Amino acid sequence: MKVLILGANGELGPHVVTALEHRHQLRLTDINDLETHHEYFKADAANLEQVVAAAEGMDVIINLSVLRKDRKLAFDVNARGCYNMMTAAVEHGIRRVVNTGPFYVVAGPTYERFDHMIGPDVPHQPGTYLYALTKSLGQEICRVFTESHDIHVVDLLFYMLLDPETHNVESGSPIANVGRDLVPYTISWRDAAEAVRRALDVEMDKLPSRSEVFFVFPDLPHQKFSSEKARRLLGWEPKDQLDKFWKKAKL
Amino acid sequence: MKVLVTLTSDHLSLEIARSLSASHEVRLTDKNEVPTDLEFVRSDLGHGAPTNELVRGMNAVVHSGGIDPAASVSDQLDYQMRCTYNLLWSAAEEGVQRFVYLSSLQLMDGYDPDLAVTERWKPLPTTDVPVLCYHLGEMICREFARENKISVVILRLGDIASEQAAKTAISTSTLYMDDAAVAVEKALGADHSGWLDIYHVQSAVPNARYLTGQPWWSADDVSPSFDLGYEPRARS
Repeated sequence: MKVLILGANGELGPHVVTALEHRHQLRLTDINDLETHHEYFKADAANLEQVVAAAEGMDVIINLSVLRKDRKLAFDVNARGCYNMMTAAVEHGIRRVVNTGPFYVVAGPTYERFDHMIGPDVPHQPGTYLYALTKSLGQEICRVFTESHDIHVVDLLFYMLLDPETHNVESGSPIANVGRDLVPYTISWRDAAEAVRRALDVEMDKLPSRSEVFFVFPDLPHQKFSSEKARRLLGWEPKDQLDKFWKKAKL
Repeated sequence: MKVLVTLTSDHLSLEIARSLSASHEVRLTDKNEVPTDLEFVRSDLGHGAPTNELVRGMNAVVHSGGIDPAASVSDQLDYQMRCTYNLLWSAAEEGVQRFVYLSSLQLMDGYDPDLAVTERWKPLPTTDVPVLCYHLGEMICREFARENKISVVILRLGDIASEQAAKTAISTSTLYMDDAAVAVEKALGADHSGWLDIYHVQSAVPNARYLTGQPWWSADDVSPSFDLGYEPRARS
């Protein structure tokens, strides 16, 4: 398939490119310059005309674009960027879109602080945190488009990404410490990228609706979030189990 | 009560501001200059001190979910999402007691007109940008209410019409300006659940499409009650 990746020069982008490049024809876009042997468009996800132009001739759009801190840019990219992407999909008859975001698009503090086994199909409670709310608005824009257009959106939610081979911090990390636990929304880069690949392979008509949200985490012992749906519907299986972080070292 | 009214370049907001000014101290704002005898402060509703200054000392904010039809789609979306977010943050930080968001009954138009649609029904937004903007604005309000940052009342208003229009064609979800002004006035002082209170507001017209004044019923009264107290004026 011909696959457009928005925000391809972000942290996750190179991992997704690696997962897809031997199976699909890639067109990469980013607001920043990017050295690549794939087709590349410099494009701002917040610019409607640029996104529509970049999507011409594509079969799929993958949205990896993200802005977290600046209020203007966060709304531009995380929320309006989704409107632009969906408008481009309508314009060019693209039927498959893969959107990405953090777990708190669905499960903000009102879930995360209180509950376990949180599934991705609960009503969204992102809260007022800028990154969460703007990404949640973007996801909702995608969902509304699927209500009136024949477009399928697979929304993949993860958050803390790391390389378990190199992330060997033993103290002081807020994310993961060997033998001292990790945040319950951690996943390896390659497993996240594999979920994106699975989202391209899944038969869209076998999904329950045209807008489906997935938590994508490995088997973490906290049981905070359930990734059962990603396994069941996408056939995704994590390769990196991260158990070295939650198993105490034997004295 | 000191009340800030936004988007006063829009006819609805301006008329509501005029009506409120009879019994309240009203401040108007818009990104463009609006000729008015009332206090007016131009604002982009940006992220920063000017928006805090705009709402400082206000008891309530009446924020329109409408859009500038002359603006680009990107600017319309930006206004309803980012500016609404900025305004809510500033209002919460400055201790404004109540935020009234003027949404639209168009969010419920996807239902069969024969159904008794009330505030308990799920909104059915479309990709039509004005309707989508109302929906996204409501989402932002909802999250501020969920975190108890500010008391939020959402009024889903019918199709705004003047009395003159009544002599021609009106829709079954018409809301006359005087009824809209009454509803906003009520929203400023209505008993509030402390959570998120949503009301459908339209006028008494033949075959009125939407029910108004439906009592909130909570199973075993476990959630706080609320009531707008709005009744559309009877018309002959």
